[in-house]
Amino acid sequence: MSQALLNIENVDKIYGTAASGIYAVKGLSMAVQRGEIVSLLGSSGCGKTSTLRMIAGFEDITNGQISIAGKAINNLAPVKRNVAMAFEGYSLYPPLTIGDNIAFALKATKLSAADVKTKVAEIAEMLEISDILDSYPSSVSGGQQQRASLGRALIRDADLHLLDEPMGQLEPQLRALLRGRIKHYIREKGLTAILVTHDQAEANALSDRIAVMEDGYLQQFESPLVLKNQPANLFTGTFIGEPPMNVFNASVTQDSDQVRFQLDENVSLNYNISEFTESVIQAAIKHESIVIGVRPYAVKRSNNGVNVTVLVNQWLGDQTHIAAELAGQSIVLVEHDRAFDKTGETISVQLTPDSLHLFDRHSGAAISHGTVMA
Amino acid sequence: MSTLELRGATKRYKKDTVVDNVSFQVAHGETLVLFGPSGAGKTVLLRMVAGVVELDEGAVFIDGHDMHDTEAEDRGVGMAFQNFALFPHMSAFDNIASPLTVGANSKQVIKAGVEKVASLLKIDHVLSHAPRELSNGQKQRTALARALAASPPLLLLDDPLRNVDAKLRFEMRLELPQLLEKQGATVIYVTQDYKEAMALGDRIAVLDEGRIQQIGTPEAIYLTPHTIDIARLFGDPVINLFDVVGQRDEQGTYVELSGQRLALNEDKAACIDTDSVLGVRPESILFVPEGTVNAIPISIEAETPLNEKVVTLALTEGSREILISRPAGTDAPSSGQAYVSIDQSALMLFNKNTGVAIGESHDAKNSDGVAA
Amino acid sequence: MQHHQSKLETVLRALALTLVVLFFMFPIFWILLMSLQTNETILRVPPSVVFEPTLANYKGIITGRLETSAASLEINFLGNLWNSIFLSVTSVTLALVLGVPAAYAFARLKFKGSEDIAFTLLSFRFAPPLLVLLPLTLYFQQMGLADTYIGLIWVYQLICLPLILWIVRGYFEDISPDIENAYRIAGHSWFATFRKIALPLAGPGIAAAGLLAFIFAWNNFIFALVLASADKQPVTVGALAFITASGIQYGQIAAAVIMSITPTLALALYAQKYLVEGLSLGAVKG
Repeated sequence: MSQALLNIENVDKIYGTAASGIYAVKGLSMAVQRGEIVSLLGSSGCGKTSTLRMIAGFEDITNGQISIAGKAINNLAPVKRNVAMAFEGYSLYPPLTIGDNIAFALKATKLSAADVKTKVAEIAEMLEISDILDSYPSSVSGGQQQRASLGRALIRDADLHLLDEPMGQLEPQLRALLRGRIKHYIREKGLTAILVTHDQAEANALSDRIAVMEDGYLQQFESPLVLKNQPANLFTGTFIGEPPMNVFNASVTQDSDQVRFQLDENVSLNYNISEFTESVIQAAIKHESIVIGVRPYAVKRSNNGVNVTVLVNQWLGDQTHIAAELAGQSIVLVEHDRAFDKTGETISVQLTPDSLHLFDRHSGAAISHGTVMA
Repeated sequence: MSTLELRGATKRYKKDTVVDNVSFQVAHGETLVLFGPSGAGKTVLLRMVAGVVELDEGAVFIDGHDMHDTEAEDRGVGMAFQNFALFPHMSAFDNIASPLTVGANSKQVIKAGVEKVASLLKIDHVLSHAPRELSNGQKQRTALARALAASPPLLLLDDPLRNVDAKLRFEMRLELPQLLEKQGATVIYVTQDYKEAMALGDRIAVLDEGRIQQIGTPEAIYLTPHTIDIARLFGDPVINLFDVVGQRDEQGTYVELSGQRLALNEDKAACIDTDSVLGVRPESILFVPEGTVNAIPISIEAETPLNEKVVTLALTEGSREILISRPAGTDAPSSGQAYVSIDQSALMLFNKNTGVAIGESHDAKNSDGVAA
Repeated sequence: MQHHQSKLETVLRALALTLVVLFFMFPIFWILLMSLQTNETILRVPPSVVFEPTLANYKGIITGRLETSAASLEINFLGNLWNSIFLSVTSVTLALVLGVPAAYAFARLKFKGSEDIAFTLLSFRFAPPLLVLLPLTLYFQQMGLADTYIGLIWVYQLICLPLILWIVRGYFEDISPDIENAYRIAGHSWFATFRKIALPLAGPGIAAAGLLAFIFAWNNFIFALVLASADKQPVTVGALAFITASGIQYGQIAAAVIMSITPTLALALYAQKYLVEGLSLGAVKG
């Protein structure tokens, strides 16, 4: 039985009539396995929240089918879907204490009062809200309310846990710790979770796979590592990654033994043909005008690379971000050590063949990643 | 360029003292970042300098002149606001032109001034648009352009990047220093983002509860924070803190963590027999092979990638949580048992009761610090 | 299935709305019908909606001669209409000139006792007019203000000023202070900021408040009844003239009502967008 826990098949969401309405989600198909943590990631209006609301049952499914644990849920009331949800606006019940809010979902189960108390205490400790269990939602901070709302969802025993922007308001000091704890908790309890977020740091930290959405379309649904190393198109390539990928328009030509990426009149990146695979070179030449993408951490210093002029050097404590001028544009390097290059200095950087992502300039589709065809 | 000095600036709203006896100096052309959590008093402080909030006590000096009787419009400062505060009924052009329409500037002078700063900020193509027709990024650039238009010698930037998305914020963080360099202004920059503070500040003033907690270069604040709270405000993931008690033997001062000895410099001797807190930044903890000297055994709870780093949450033998950060792409176990060692040159030590750092360069609070 | 339901919903909703509109519009509609009939057809038993329309009522009002079956009567309804327009427009204008800067001050300057003063001004609206009317009449007679336009306009401020003050104040408070700060820091004086930023941004609110004040002033009856003699009376009081010794002139009253509500109705329809916007963004805000 390798049947997926959640199956979304060809789902459209249209607000208004089919003819003149607004498409929020178009032809979405994806499957989530039991025990997976999946993020729906995108900017506002990309369709991620509509998707979540269709799964939860707060929104009709215009076309297509969604099933949970093999059962179609299109016409099932939200309460019958066995889905737990943490809302972006927290939605805590104001007349109940934080503790009672978290325990609320367990009231319907046959757990004894003592068991409920233990479970609430356990989850409160994980979320660092033990000290406010007797407070009312209105008297605690937004970050605390968000953690309580998260606790209320995670404590439930459900097929699927839907978390809508679950950590956006968290205090920065708690973020890394709670991400680690929550990921551990979800794994340990074998929960299946779907996060909706616009914050890629959150998606990257927690997810096994990320569904990148834009304009109602699913752009790519892969693990964070694949999204970083093999983005399917220019959108995902530049959307995923902090700092964002460096991109340069280029035209490609080939000499007898060299392949040449011309960035502007004066600057070109030249490589021995032997450094590339033949298929990549042929594909790049066929596309003529392409976009070269290089991740900031993949830009390395070298003694005989391309000379670039430092525009700015910013040390962030554990990373150095350097922006330098290359072909009239800025190229960003990330280094994990402290660098002391000053503005105006020239440094030499190397863009190795295996760090280059090539995209078609018109369609944005990936041509190759390093020496491998996309 | 201007100099700025605050002397004992204080502001109370009813019984709350939101700015409490704040003094500092900013030199010609310096960028001072006011950093702190929300409610720390940063914004009020900035408005005091701008002249739109009156001081209850103390004084603001610009270029050595007491500003007490100088109205906001006569201080010659430029300011950009967190919520942009664009005039909704005026076009982007008129917004940017507003500092230039004062006095007898001719139409041509105004037009030239607006176009110059607009092209610098790459918004020349949207000058005829009303603010509601601008994207968030364009609004933010328009607000900046308005602040810069009259080339004010003193520039006040109130968290200008807070309301733009992460990618834009990153781009502007790299672009701003170049822009400010060209302007040659003295800058006060308010932010809640420690990365912005470190990237943009010549010096950072850490504000909390209306008081300056520490003022110094990014290096000083990141590497030798004055208190635990400051140490926790800088760095992502947050610094690891462990309760320890300092000990001493013939080899010198040390603390014990998970049964391993961590030697301390003699300047930290004050921790001996005192309840102390050891601070270790996540990036100062390294994965090492089993059997390495002083290796601390851990069990990994979860691995969470973060930008170009990977953050590991683990438990020590005493079930203390520990966060470890390493560059992405470096090898390390992602689950089960592992060993780490701590870079002993990067240890911080704080008194547990007072929260104040123990050791060198923490003696003077140097809240009146002047830029070198 | 769902489409059927939503269509049914639409029909039901339209039906319900029509009923509500009919219910509220019926009196006005009925008055319109009355204004086109003679007193005889209005009072016939049983009543009937079938009649021969006549403009005699309007003609009588405009020419100023009221022809009844018993006698003919001089009536100055157009003068009343003019009084109404004059009194309302001047009162509202004065209230705007005084009230808008005051509202700005209450919104922006939190001085000692500002809340109390603002509330006292609002409380003028709570007091029943009859309570103040008697002493006011005596004072006005002493001061020679009784039966003058100035006196009436002054008294009308009791109606207009609090309204404008409170609605416009809420509107000013809705403008982010930073927008005004930004203009001042850009080098403009306090007054320039008020004129170029605060006033235009509060424009819809000011328009709404002015319109509302106009309607209230227009509809006022009791102040004018007591404080004004025939040549200063507005339409609300002037309509009393149709109650004559020989009976009530329903047809002419109806015509007068139609003529007197037309200006306010037209104004309200024209400005209803501002009215809703202004009211919902202004004083109603929690």
